[in-house]
Amino acid sequence: MSLLTNTLLRSLLVAGFAGLPFTWALSHEAHHAECDETTVNASKADIQAMGEGDAKTTATKELEAAQQMMAKNDMEGCKSHIHSAMEATEK
Amino acid sequence: MSAGRRWRLVAGALLALLAVVAVAIYAGLYNIAADVPHTPPVYWLLETVRDRSVAARARDIVPNDLDDANRISKGAGQYAEMCSGCHLAPGMKRTEISRGLYPRAPELRRKTNLTPAEQFWVVKHGVKMTGMPAWGVTHDDDLLWDVVAFVRKLPELTPEQYETLVKNAPKHEELKHEMEMDSDHEHSGDHQ
Repeated sequence: MSLLTNTLLRSLLVAGFAGLPFTWALSHEAHHAECDETTVNASKADIQAMGEGDAKTTATKELEAAQQMMAKNDMEGCKSHIHSAMEATEK
Repeated sequence: MSAGRRWRLVAGALLALLAVVAVAIYAGLYNIAADVPHTPPVYWLLETVRDRSVAARARDIVPNDLDDANRISKGAGQYAEMCSGCHLAPGMKRTEISRGLYPRAPELRRKTNLTPAEQFWVVKHGVKMTGMPAWGVTHDDDLLWDVVAFVRKLPELTPEQYETLVKNAPKHEELKHEMEMDSDHEHSGDHQ
């Protein structure tokens, strides 16, 4: 009986830990910035919907910088600017 | 050049332009995918058409009791159920639908340039090709004014205040039931 209980407990623990990376990935999904055409277009659509003001100007500049980095194949630089553009759209 | 010849040239140029536009449309050159934004001139044109259309049609609408606390409370429940999925709310993260809609649904916790009459018109009639439904098809004007009253209040609310208002609001189904009862009474009155 206790062997069965131990096995069950162990299985539950293993399953719990195995699911952790997935849970972590889901919770960080909102801050995830990719450098690709889809993300650039989504950011453009977000910016179009913003009212005129400083936040829109910042977001536009950051997105332009991201596109320049993308053209130069600097993916890390591109991601960083896309992230800044996304932050500006949420202000 | 004679006047007749000039007119023939203008008409020919216009016909050629129309033919080019027709071929472009038929060939499917314009990408209507929602994940590729309009070019700035097209976006400006559509936005201006929408804004002018709404302004012209909402001109004669008179707002109805927007500061009434009962109205705001009723609007809170309806907003949470019918609108927050796309227009979000204080303290709410962007939803999948709000991220995929194009044009983006405005986040109503931010202040708007629309007047209450214009907001009422948009809620009642919807907006073509934006995903905004015509709630007037299934809701009476009174319920829609509740939503407008709440939407006017929304930018002032903290996430906690929003949650409290929604929690204490009458349920959407109850309000619809009330609306249907009122409508039945009116109809039975008509027959008398």
